[in-house]
Amino acid sequence: MNTPDFLRIQDAPLSLDTMLAGNAREDCGALAIFSGTVRNHHDSKPVTHLIYTAHASLGDKMIRAIEQEMRDKYHVPVCQVVHRIGQLGIGESAIIAVVRAPHRAEAFAALKAVVDAVKHRVPIWKEEFYSDGTHAFVTGCCIAEDAEEPHAHDDHDHSHHHRHAREGGHPETVQTAGSGFPPSRK
Amino acid sequence: MEISVQCYGVTRRLAGADFVTVSVDAGATVADVLNALAQRGDDFAQVLKQCAIALGDELVRRTHRLKSGDEIALLPPVAGG
Repeated sequence: MNTPDFLRIQDAPLSLDTMLAGNAREDCGALAIFSGTVRNHHDSKPVTHLIYTAHASLGDKMIRAIEQEMRDKYHVPVCQVVHRIGQLGIGESAIIAVVRAPHRAEAFAALKAVVDAVKHRVPIWKEEFYSDGTHAFVTGCCIAEDAEEPHAHDDHDHSHHHRHAREGGHPETVQTAGSGFPPSRK
Repeated sequence: MEISVQCYGVTRRLAGADFVTVSVDAGATVADVLNALAQRGDDFAQVLKQCAIALGDELVRRTHRLKSGDEIALLPPVAGG
């Protein structure tokens, strides 16, 4: 069976139909799907929209490697993820993950693992824009094995081991930009 | 030699540009480029300590030796999903 290929990082609205096309399997009784959508608040602060950016070519390669890792680890024949970049409004889908497996237990386990891995290991960045005109990058996970300061924190789900960014006063964001970032220096 | 550096995430804001160019001695490593970039300010220097570095579609270590014309990318802590 030829499964249609698609870019794992896309700047157009995501299509679940595209992801499901051609990958149905008669040996799989479970289809698990996750869609992460943009919510309208963060820490009680109204959010108007997000902008995602990515190192697209490296990110595509890393997502495919993570999919293979999860197929091998959980013995699921289908595991695919796509992530959106660009500006997203409230309710739009930022990530869709699809797993097909013989039974639901491994489908759910692989689905959670692949979403966690993509969120924490792939070079994608999320900037939140608030109703008061400010904006901030969400604090993320350090992916450098030889980072000088792989400081850890606990602002999101952890069933894994990796490194996190050092952060300032805000529990989950860095660099509020409403008043401007430091200018470039020569 | 000149090394082109592509900035992602918060490093793009801190640098004020998508790309910056750094002049380093022949045979310089990724760490040498990061040290040069750290002179741009304390905030930038702090973020650089947590950046992964890509050369093309590969992650490279700070000890990686660069050659003239190389283009590296600064990958600050990631937050997809």
